[in-house]
Amino acid sequence: MPAVTAPFERMDAGAPKPASADAILVVDDIVKRFETPDGVLTALDHVSLGVAPGEFVGVIGPSGCGKSTLFNVIGGLLDGYEGTVKVAGERVRGPHASIGMIFQEESTFPWRNVIDNVAFPLEIAGRPKAERYERARHFVKLVGLDGFERRYPAELSGGMRQRVSMARTLAAQPKILLMDEPFAALDEQTRLLLGDKVLQIQQQLKQTTLLITHNITEAVQLSDRILVMTYRPGKVKRIVDIKLPRPRSSEIVSSEAFGRYVAQIWNDLREEASRGLLDEESHKLREGEKR
Amino acid sequence: MAETGRLSLPASRPLRLPLRPVTALRIAIIVAVVVVWEAVSASGLLYRDVVPSLVAIGKALYVTLSDPTFYFHLYTTFYEIGIAMVIGGLSGLAVGILLGGSKFLSRAYEAYLYYLGPCPKIIFFPIMIMWFGVGPGSKVAMGAISCFFPVALNVAGGMREIDKVLIRVGKSFRANTWQMVTKIYLPAMRHPVINGVRLGLGVALIGTLLAETKLSNRGIGFLVIQAYSIFNMPQMYALLIILFVIAIGANTVIGRLGGLDDIKRF
Amino acid sequence: MSAAVATLAKNRYFPAALGLVSFVVFIALVELLIRVGVINRFIVPMPSDIIAAFPRVIVEEHVLQRFLLTAGEAFSASILVTIFGVAGGVLLYRYHLLRLATETWVAAVAAAPLVLMYPLYLVIFGRSALTIVMMGFTAGLAPVILKTLEGLSATRRVLINVGKSFNLTPSQQFWKILFPAALPTIFVGLRLGLIFALINIVGVEFLINFGGLGQLINELAERYDLPGTYAAICFVILVSICVFILMERLERWLRPVD
Repeated sequence: MPAVTAPFERMDAGAPKPASADAILVVDDIVKRFETPDGVLTALDHVSLGVAPGEFVGVIGPSGCGKSTLFNVIGGLLDGYEGTVKVAGERVRGPHASIGMIFQEESTFPWRNVIDNVAFPLEIAGRPKAERYERARHFVKLVGLDGFERRYPAELSGGMRQRVSMARTLAAQPKILLMDEPFAALDEQTRLLLGDKVLQIQQQLKQTTLLITHNITEAVQLSDRILVMTYRPGKVKRIVDIKLPRPRSSEIVSSEAFGRYVAQIWNDLREEASRGLLDEESHKLREGEKR
Repeated sequence: MAETGRLSLPASRPLRLPLRPVTALRIAIIVAVVVVWEAVSASGLLYRDVVPSLVAIGKALYVTLSDPTFYFHLYTTFYEIGIAMVIGGLSGLAVGILLGGSKFLSRAYEAYLYYLGPCPKIIFFPIMIMWFGVGPGSKVAMGAISCFFPVALNVAGGMREIDKVLIRVGKSFRANTWQMVTKIYLPAMRHPVINGVRLGLGVALIGTLLAETKLSNRGIGFLVIQAYSIFNMPQMYALLIILFVIAIGANTVIGRLGGLDDIKRF
Repeated sequence: MSAAVATLAKNRYFPAALGLVSFVVFIALVELLIRVGVINRFIVPMPSDIIAAFPRVIVEEHVLQRFLLTAGEAFSASILVTIFGVAGGVLLYRYHLLRLATETWVAAVAAAPLVLMYPLYLVIFGRSALTIVMMGFTAGLAPVILKTLEGLSATRRVLINVGKSFNLTPSQQFWKILFPAALPTIFVGLRLGLIFALINIVGVEFLINFGGLGQLINELAERYDLPGTYAAICFVILVSICVFILMERLERWLRPVD
């Protein structure tokens, strides 16, 4: 079996990698390939990472780097890969009760109101009605939507709907929260403020979180550690420890240290992103010529 | 200023019509149609009773609605359509879910439904008579095969249009198959399903009524043809009016039931 | 063995081939059941007899003339429906008050079984092809108006604004932006209108025993010519399929990529 590709030089050479004994989520040497009409695509090429309890880890990379594939693999929605994913020592083979997923797209059920949306996982798990609604109300309040329980998603803004999705996933009280670009559809200012909310909640619940994103500001704002990925085939290019103080708020975006982290990560990313852009353009060109 | 009853507008306020413009236009159109109708009726322009006076139609309506045998025929048609919709609708739903859920099955069989659907089902009527007899059976069969196709096609399309992320949400919470169908697939598809049912009702009505006019001794279709055969035109118009009102009403009710608000109030 | 099946299943023509094969198998099964006596041969004629009846029906019953007659009726009705339906939809789109007043009425008409008015049309237009064309026209009109209206109304605001930013005249705005954007929906409406028109056309031909293919089926049925009736039905199905495939090709030609 090939050796695990070690990450390149680290930002802070002295900081130790969390030992596997501490990590609650262990992703070990994942290789995922896809068969497409154009041949075999390697989305993930020996990717490993570990997340300690209560940690907030960000995974950042250009479009096409396999981030969403990683998200689906860890969440158990994809199989047919090499390597293992373990949660609290248990091997993940499909959607797991300890893993909660928040998706990038609009995912609230339009035909259910807010409280029914949030109570959904508890309904599936067969919890009694009274307990469902009490827990759901608690999480609706947690995300700051109390008063909106009976409203329908169509009556809410995009940011509010994402909060509903968040409350729904949190209501299942997963050990690990997986987020795939949850704020992609929102404007920058709403993002920053929602980022605050997420930090608040994460700190309150001590929720172990893995955030997948392409937005550098967001990653630096929220994470304890950031994994920078290469363009396809996706590998971990660098691990950056974010040594910004906790508890944080969105005011941190104006600090110098913040700016330096963002600049440094962009340095790594820019190269990968350019490769991705070129690759995609030539692909579209070839597709159009076929017609 | 002296009080003059209810009307005490200050001079500066412009005088406004008591009606919204839309309602006014509708009334104007109806009035115009009535006037033209009566004019044509009285003038004798068209052959005899083809355009009977509205008074005559009104009388015929009254007579029909107070005739107990009419309700027997109405019930027959209702019953035939009802059973046809249940058979055609449920089988359409099942087939639609199967085709929509499996790309493979869809590529193998959906084309048959797609191209057989627009074909006028009346051509199958002689076969239906042979298989199900001259009674209600053949009428129900006509209604059922008419309504099967729009429902199946709309459901299949609806399954494919479900926002994929909603299915992933269900899977990420480990919902079992029954929960997926009842809590995610069906609610997510409600618009296409309701539209399929409305279309199905429309074609089932046509199929069943045509069958009744061709070969039957009961039902609304039969009554219409009977009125025509004795050239009782006002009666025929009365029956058509009642039929259309019921058909439109049923269509609206189904639409409302599905939460679609496109048939607006008068 | 299962590996071979797996690779076969991945072949892109496999599903379509499977569909065709299962259809043929079904027909063969029916043939077998009739020969064995499980299915009554006086209710369902043998598929082999039906196929044998094809040439006879085509030649003796002048299928080509009948087809041309029905097709001609359908074509005339389609032209009328397209012109008046699309024009009607455009009219309602242009005059908002009119739309608010009458849209629900048009939707109601689309839901009513207008086919039952055929005795009236018989009296007005006589026992002729004109009656049938008018019945087809009446039935197909409402869906086309509604879908045209829907298509025009659903044009994305941003596209309209692009037109305005280029200072297009109202006529240019309509023909270069609104109409092309609405075309897919209009085609859905035309397809629906044609379906309803055809149902009425063939239906009325069948009922009043006049005209083309609808009448043919009625006649053959009244003569108890079972294989002939089934053959004629197959023929009508084939014709219907061809008409709608043609319609799709037309739409594909007008709008290449979607």
